[in-house]
Amino acid sequence: MLISIDQTDERPIYIQIMDEVRRGVVMGLILADEALPSVRQLALDLRVNPNTVMQAYRELEREGVVEVRRGQGTYVAQSRTTSKQRRDLVREVAERATRDAHRNGVHVHELIDELRGSPARDQRKRA
Amino acid sequence: MTVDLAQDLSEWPLAIRTRGLTKIYGRYRALNELSLQVPDGAVYLLVGPNGAGKSTTIRVLLDLIRPDAGTASVFGRSTERDSALIRANIGYVPEQLDWGHGWMKVGRLLAHHSRYFPTWDHQYANRLCHMFDLRMYQRMNTLSKGQRRRVHIAMALAHRPPLLLLDEPTDGLDPLMRDDVLGTFIAHVADSPTTVLISTHHVSEFEQLADYVGVMQGGALRAQLSMEELRRNLKRYRADVPEGWHGTSVFNGSAIRRTTTHRQIDWVVWGTESEVVGRLTMTGATVRDCSALTLNDATLALLGAREHVR
Repeated sequence: MLISIDQTDERPIYIQIMDEVRRGVVMGLILADEALPSVRQLALDLRVNPNTVMQAYRELEREGVVEVRRGQGTYVAQSRTTSKQRRDLVREVAERATRDAHRNGVHVHELIDELRGSPARDQRKRA
Repeated sequence: MTVDLAQDLSEWPLAIRTRGLTKIYGRYRALNELSLQVPDGAVYLLVGPNGAGKSTTIRVLLDLIRPDAGTASVFGRSTERDSALIRANIGYVPEQLDWGHGWMKVGRLLAHHSRYFPTWDHQYANRLCHMFDLRMYQRMNTLSKGQRRRVHIAMALAHRPPLLLLDEPTDGLDPLMRDDVLGTFIAHVADSPTTVLISTHHVSEFEQLADYVGVMQGGALRAQLSMEELRRNLKRYRADVPEGWHGTSVFNGSAIRRTTTHRQIDWVVWGTESEVVGRLTMTGATVRDCSALTLNDATLALLGAREHVR
């Protein structure tokens, strides 16, 4: 899978890496027992500090998303709660959308109506 | 500004520590009670305008110049008492490249340099030279600025020192070579445990590499903190405010840079996001947007802390 980060994103880089790996797992882009890129390789690919990648991998290990096998590398763990991870992902996307809506002075109910293409919206238009 | 962003990092083991470092040239204070702390194993980015004292600091660490007051230590040893030992443990890329070795060929200079460092890794040196496209038979004074810079980078890295002092290491390099050099530093840090102090104007180039940042101005630190904390606590807030809004007073100095029009504000504020948003909301403002700053923007905000009213 491809891990990418965004310099202008406000999340710290190690969190971005963690989110990318989680996203990859949830979407099935990377499967259990598959290896993640080495710390050195990912640091080089992303042009970031190896310490940052190490931190991301360590945190992911603590969360049980990956497991570090000594001297071999970092592997995706057998997943247990994909549905929870999926919900977290949905929540994250929703939060991003609401933030963007607020920035543009759009109310949450307007946003939801628009997403649903709901009859409520059409009724409001007609009224 | 009343918030002090020059933090004490001494809870970590420190590779570099200066206390009250002061250097005076005539009437000019190049360093003014500088207390720099670089945690062991970290990449520390030292930024600031010309004449802020960045190069002077590095030269004191190498004992190339002596301070008028204060002390500096590297790995717990005094830079004045143990200068030879300290220099043996440092890879240094100077900002000025006129070392007086112009007549030497690249290969000869490298061979000469290697004899000062028992840990010199000849294979690695050759690999670096190959990567940097350097030719051993060329004389130093026939090289371009960028080529000479690469020679110095190879010399600094090849003995795998525990500390790298890089003074504008990418100056004079073309964009492609800059990226190569950046990759070389990353691979180097991944392969050997190294503390790195980088002084640079090219802030954005090294932003993703930095664990810590120090912002220097007038020979002292305006800020010193981890990148993570900087990203988390220094943010830009855009908000709509009612006509005749008086919210400035509640910020008590934590608003680093303020741009205010009569209906909108665009501020850089230090503090946790929820607290800042809470305070703004309390004064009747509607926060539209809150975003982290790039290191370049954060540096500019810290250096130019002032109010803009339109």
